[in-house]
Amino acid sequence: MVPSTLEAPRTRTGSARSLRTHRWRRTAGRAATGWAFAGPGTLLVVGLSIFPAVWAFLISRTRWNGIAPARDLGWGNYQRMVEDPELWESVRHTLLLTALFVPSSIAFGLVVAIALSQPIRLIRFYRTCIFVPFVASAAATGILAGYVFNPQFGSANELLRRLGLPAQQFLEDPRQVLVVICLIALWGQVGFVAVIYLAALQDIPKDLVEAATVDGASRWQVFWHVTVPALRPVTVFTGVWQTITVLQLFDLVFTTTRGGPLNASQTVVYYVYELAFQTQRYGYGSAVAYGLFAFTMLLTVAMILYSRRAKVEAF
Amino acid sequence: MRHDVRRAFAAGISALVLALAGCTSGAPEDDGKDAAEGYDPNAKVTLTWWTGQSAEAQNILEGLAKEYQALHPNVTLNVSSGAATTDELLTKLSAGFTSGTYPDISYAYGSWATELGQSGRTQDLKAFVAEPATAWEEIPPAARATATVEGRVIGVPALVDNLGLIYNKKLFDAAGLPHPTDDWSWDDFRAAAKKLTDPSKNIYGTAYSVSGSEDTTWHLWPLLWQKGGRILDPGGAPAFNSDAGVAALEYLRQLAVVDKSMYLDQTDEKYAPLFYSGNVGMIISGPWVLYDLKEQKVDYGVSFLPGFDGNHETVSGPDLWVLLDHEDPNRAGAARDFVRWLTSKEIDAKWNLTFGNLPLRSSEQGTPEFAAYVKEYAPGAQKFFDNLANAKQPRPTVTGYVEMSRYVGEAISKVLQGAAEPKAALDDAAQRAKPALEDR
Repeated sequence: MVPSTLEAPRTRTGSARSLRTHRWRRTAGRAATGWAFAGPGTLLVVGLSIFPAVWAFLISRTRWNGIAPARDLGWGNYQRMVEDPELWESVRHTLLLTALFVPSSIAFGLVVAIALSQPIRLIRFYRTCIFVPFVASAAATGILAGYVFNPQFGSANELLRRLGLPAQQFLEDPRQVLVVICLIALWGQVGFVAVIYLAALQDIPKDLVEAATVDGASRWQVFWHVTVPALRPVTVFTGVWQTITVLQLFDLVFTTTRGGPLNASQTVVYYVYELAFQTQRYGYGSAVAYGLFAFTMLLTVAMILYSRRAKVEAF
Repeated sequence: MRHDVRRAFAAGISALVLALAGCTSGAPEDDGKDAAEGYDPNAKVTLTWWTGQSAEAQNILEGLAKEYQALHPNVTLNVSSGAATTDELLTKLSAGFTSGTYPDISYAYGSWATELGQSGRTQDLKAFVAEPATAWEEIPPAARATATVEGRVIGVPALVDNLGLIYNKKLFDAAGLPHPTDDWSWDDFRAAAKKLTDPSKNIYGTAYSVSGSEDTTWHLWPLLWQKGGRILDPGGAPAFNSDAGVAALEYLRQLAVVDKSMYLDQTDEKYAPLFYSGNVGMIISGPWVLYDLKEQKVDYGVSFLPGFDGNHETVSGPDLWVLLDHEDPNRAGAARDFVRWLTSKEIDAKWNLTFGNLPLRSSEQGTPEFAAYVKEYAPGAQKFFDNLANAKQPRPTVTGYVEMSRYVGEAISKVLQGAAEPKAALDDAAQRAKPALEDR
């Protein structure tokens, strides 16, 4: 019996150990299965988002032209951002463009969505027509618009002439250029907003509208007190979405004006492009890009917090 | 388990960061040794060649690569365009330097020469170009200067060009004006531009790009040089805001702002098509438009640039075959041998002249290929070839030229759009360019 008493504790410890090993194996096995699913996606995210982002941050602390050895500047590039008038000019243009574009794209989108939700013939055809410009690449839109708005040879001035209005400089007038770019961007983006609103409009319970009508509400009152509040989550979402879109607007500026005339249409993203790829100041360009990233991130987080607190449920 | 994953992830990220930090800062030092020292011409080597060309031009070069390999069975050439467009080649090269997978031979714009020289990856060809077999002296001096960066020769010119005056004969005849000649002064040019301009018909005397790019900037340089000015002073500081520079820009301002006879193109791309369509009477451009002029069947003529006080100097923007060092004398030597063959009088004719570019060497003038080229691209080809002699000064190959060019381009575009005076605008550009030029 001696051996058995001696063996007993050994067996106990042995079984506990094997149990632990077993458990560990099970967890490891589960983790492996999990990673088998999540791995490829993680690799993509790390390779295509985190890796470039980390690299861009390292570059943003150097002076580097892409070829010759980089020189460490610490926070020098970020300090320089504060006192760069050209950067603040481009921030001003970007904010102005945002203020022009976001409300008008939401308003137009809503109007178009309401029009497209009416029971009229060929409605599917009209819906497709509105959505097509959104599918077309912004670069193509920009090149096309460049011809339309050319002051000497474009059809926009031809139209004004027929209407008896004076010819305009459009994209070549520093005071008009942002408005014209906003118009071109609207042409491409309204379809997107309209489609989202169209879906949301169909989600509004019919009995709510009927009940309001029975209670004596006019069509305008129904729209203002039933439809608009029901659309609020969608409005917050499109607001944030369109803001991010316009903050990152690049292709339209590139194909129509290259930031001109006299830098009047230079947005922040275009300025980053010019710094990095036109004058090869990758370090400073990355720093500005990081500034824009921080701003967009702040804005998005603020909107999410707002929508949670106000229970809008946009996100 | 979760902690382990997190720790592993964090370790991975920091490894990545370290690797990257290593990548961006480490460039090989120049040890002063010739890259091809100890080259064995019979060794088996594989070379990578980025041509920077697409479509038709690429086909011609691939054919030449095959021809060379037939002559040298021990050499294998991996030919590719390198990037989707030539502009993207610099980005591709910089990525290649970071990852260590750069080619042996690459096409490059002349304005990149300084940057590439500083990468520490280029061969120094000083000894190679001194050999009589390279016939270095036959290549235009401005192009040779562009290939020479701070005393090192980093490549061999691949293509040469220059700016001349191209005019629409029909518009001149319709306005009853005599055609431009090689002895034209800029006053003649201004008077003609004024007469050609007809707003009711959307016709402009001439055009200028105000995009603020290098295309905007380099059009000013010939006028500056003709006035006796220089871009940089001998110490490397900006000198373009001298009286000569101001006078040159003032001349352009009068055409654009006072006479309104100059179409201002907000991009670099509209003025040439407007010339083809007969909306612009004269453009300052180079041999690269000859192909389109022929395709569009434009009735055009070419002359030297107009001059100030009889000086008809022009500017050239040569491109290069840059030779890169892989610390393998056999590869370095084989790359040199190939480029010597490619840029030789006989083979260059098969590439540059066939594709409509100017010949690289003065000695090509007597070849049958040159005669065929002149005939095919008449009347521009011969004139642009003769105009090579007027390209006397190179654009500076110094660090910071690209950045400086941007500021000058912006100054020009401001002045031509009536938003600034030449003196103030150029002074401002010089002020902003100073740090970029001093930082070596």
